[in-house]
Amino acid sequence: MNEKITVGIADMKLAKGSGILITYALGSCIGLCFHDPKLKLGALLHIMLPLNMEAGRKNPLKYADTGIRETLRQMESRGGARSRITVKIAGGAKMFEVNGGNLGNIGQRNIESVHTILRKENIRLVGENVGGSVARTLLFDVDTGQGCIRSYGKQDIIF
Amino acid sequence: MNIHSFDQLTSLEIDTLREIGSIGTGNAATALSTMLGREVRITLPEVRIMGYNEAIEWIGGPEAVTAGVLVRLSGQINGIMLSVQQMEFVNLVFQSMLGTTIESYEELGELGKSTLVEVGNIAISTFINALAGLSGVSVELTVPAFAVDMQGAILAVPMAEYGGMSDYLMTIGGNFVCDNKQVPCRLLLSPDIRSLNFLLQKLGVAE
Repeated sequence: MNEKITVGIADMKLAKGSGILITYALGSCIGLCFHDPKLKLGALLHIMLPLNMEAGRKNPLKYADTGIRETLRQMESRGGARSRITVKIAGGAKMFEVNGGNLGNIGQRNIESVHTILRKENIRLVGENVGGSVARTLLFDVDTGQGCIRSYGKQDIIF
Repeated sequence: MNIHSFDQLTSLEIDTLREIGSIGTGNAATALSTMLGREVRITLPEVRIMGYNEAIEWIGGPEAVTAGVLVRLSGQINGIMLSVQQMEFVNLVFQSMLGTTIESYEELGELGKSTLVEVGNIAISTFINALAGLSGVSVELTVPAFAVDMQGAILAVPMAEYGGMSDYLMTIGGNFVCDNKQVPCRLLLSPDIRSLNFLLQKLGVAE
């Protein structure tokens, strides 16, 4: 097994040729696996919130909209082509059944925002494992484009 | 002057929050002592302002499974309070109250779950009552919610809630000490920034 490259929260890493990208414990956050199969170029993005409304925009990778666009920009600068790039997503769970809060169900809003932005950017969504109430650790193989989800008390899911 | 981000807190303000944390967790420890029928004390509470990934390392890594009780605060203070109950703490509670211990969270039955919810809820409510009494603010609490899962995802709940306002997570909390053993029960209070400013004003330390 190759050395795994860890992607933190509000973070993104790229790998080319081979390598496993991993991000841990996605709750309401969403992990997005970007893949250009021709170049075997992959990126794993870990976003936390649906829309970037910060004035300063210091951390684009924290949000679905700016995070997806920044990832696509970096893939394109390495030769990736939008027509080939596909995306798989995991996360968007609701960890606690509790009412109130400013944002309601953040997980659900993250899922909807990711869908909308991928559509706007003309990127194909080829797989997803979202919602529910369990945390997910997401592994992504940039060689094959295969994703694997690890959850507590459940069998691993390959997608 | 109001702060816009947790990293702008002055040392006087942080000291004040630590004092609040000390009184809050002290009261929670007393409530636990009564419930468990044995002495529970509290370590010197900490006020921590951490980046997201730093906070997850601090609590012991993202994938470790733990139980969490979450209560949402509203009224004059908005925020989230979490009781993160790692295995050692769970077994301390179970031994005292149910006379059993468990090896993993998978063995948690309905009775075990409701016991943990109750213990977490009492610790949190006692903490908040002390805070409210001290600062003269009124706070309402939701019914507690419970989850057993990777602690990274549990900790991400307050992060996501306030992520639009700050790249940092502020936590006030401490560890319990029982039978001279330090038991990592972490009580974490994460207020939103507006409430934090209001609280500091009420306590007379906001500049």
